[in-house]
Amino acid sequence: MKSLDPRVNRLPQNVTSNKEEAALTQFGTFEVFVQPNPKKPFQHEGAVHSPNLEMAFVMAKEAFTRRFTCSSLYVVETSKIFTSAMSEGDQNAFDLIQKTPEGEGMSNGNSYEIFILQKRGKQSVHAGQVLAASPEEAMWNARNQLNKGTQVFQVWAIRTDDIRFTTVDEGDLWQTLPEKKFRDASDYKGGEKLKEFLDKSNSL
Amino acid sequence: MKDEATKELLYKIADDQLILGHRNSEWTGFGPLLEEDIAFSSMAQDKLGQSLALYQLLHQMGEAPPDTVAFMRDSVNFHNCIFTELPNGEYDFSLVRHFLFDASEILRFEMLRESTFIPLKELAVKITGELRYHDLHARTWMRQLGSATGESILRLQQSLTFSLPHAMGIFEVSPYEEDLISGKIFAGERVLRDRWMERVEETLKTTALQLPSWGTVEPIFGGRSGKHSEHLQPLLDEMSEVFRIDPSAEW
Repeated sequence: MKSLDPRVNRLPQNVTSNKEEAALTQFGTFEVFVQPNPKKPFQHEGAVHSPNLEMAFVMAKEAFTRRFTCSSLYVVETSKIFTSAMSEGDQNAFDLIQKTPEGEGMSNGNSYEIFILQKRGKQSVHAGQVLAASPEEAMWNARNQLNKGTQVFQVWAIRTDDIRFTTVDEGDLWQTLPEKKFRDASDYKGGEKLKEFLDKSNSL
Repeated sequence: MKDEATKELLYKIADDQLILGHRNSEWTGFGPLLEEDIAFSSMAQDKLGQSLALYQLLHQMGEAPPDTVAFMRDSVNFHNCIFTELPNGEYDFSLVRHFLFDASEILRFEMLRESTFIPLKELAVKITGELRYHDLHARTWMRQLGSATGESILRLQQSLTFSLPHAMGIFEVSPYEEDLISGKIFAGERVLRDRWMERVEETLKTTALQLPSWGTVEPIFGGRSGKHSEHLQPLLDEMSEVFRIDPSAEW
């Protein structure tokens, strides 16, 4: 199934060949995840081009969190996101995940962040964390631990150690953001001035 | 006397933020990559916001309203350092200026967080996060391009060598320096300059860029007392062009 959503198509199954091409033309991509406020889960917002992870963080901050509110942000190289198959019809993507050969492990491996796509065309949202020895196993463990039975269209697993998180010190990066309403169209109310102007020109 | 000293301090900081903010905003639409275009423009906007906040403090102290102060003065009445008014040139210069100036900016406001002038102290606390981002952005780019390719290193090195005398001009002392220090309003340009040198050294030692010995850098002063380069007046003319058509217009 070919989705028309650019966010869905941006995560290629065959990452290697794509990467070689990218190296000749422009920087690689990094995926950006944003937490709008401390009570909400992180969600995928899009991608930035960057030569490395640290610069991706710096670029992502203004590309994706320059309006409204933000409490935290993180980035990871696109090729480090492990994706499940997209589900068709009313299938649940969790149910398509195959058991890994090494079996069901609650192994003391790495921690993985699990994201789920709950609606086509919407952002993938953070669903929880699992421990696993490989991304495949992370998927399987996510199926067992985070599947609530409601339909999801795709599952992503990202090794926690691959992520550039916002540090504790950087929590104040968005301190003044709520005041920057001038960056949003809703701050420009021309309606009354327009009415006044039209009334004046009509009465002439 | 203390009021005059505080006003002079506020004017020079505000004018630095306004003029460099305006310069940096000239990159909007022309940045080296889309993400950087957005980031640089956002930071320019932050600087304009910071200048507005400072002009508002001045207004509370009896000076003219912010728009009047920003758009109706001629270059001789501006107190920004010459460094901030220089044309953008190539991106390497704009980036080096951003790095050198914003290192002084974060340190200056860090010092102002201790100011006995409470409105200024409060502003300094409030914008900590904005300045942290500017500093992070500048240092990250310098580390990247300062050790990337032969061309990037050479370009940054040339811009750095050109910029340093101007950057030292940021720290031109005020006629009220001793009042500011004894009143604990601001710990002074010399303290700031020494901290700034350390900070610049710290970032650049992780790159292939070379700093000359500081003693050989001859500071370019003048901006703080209104003696500007030929570049400031044209900037002001352009910046205030629309405002001056009808200064009483409501926006």
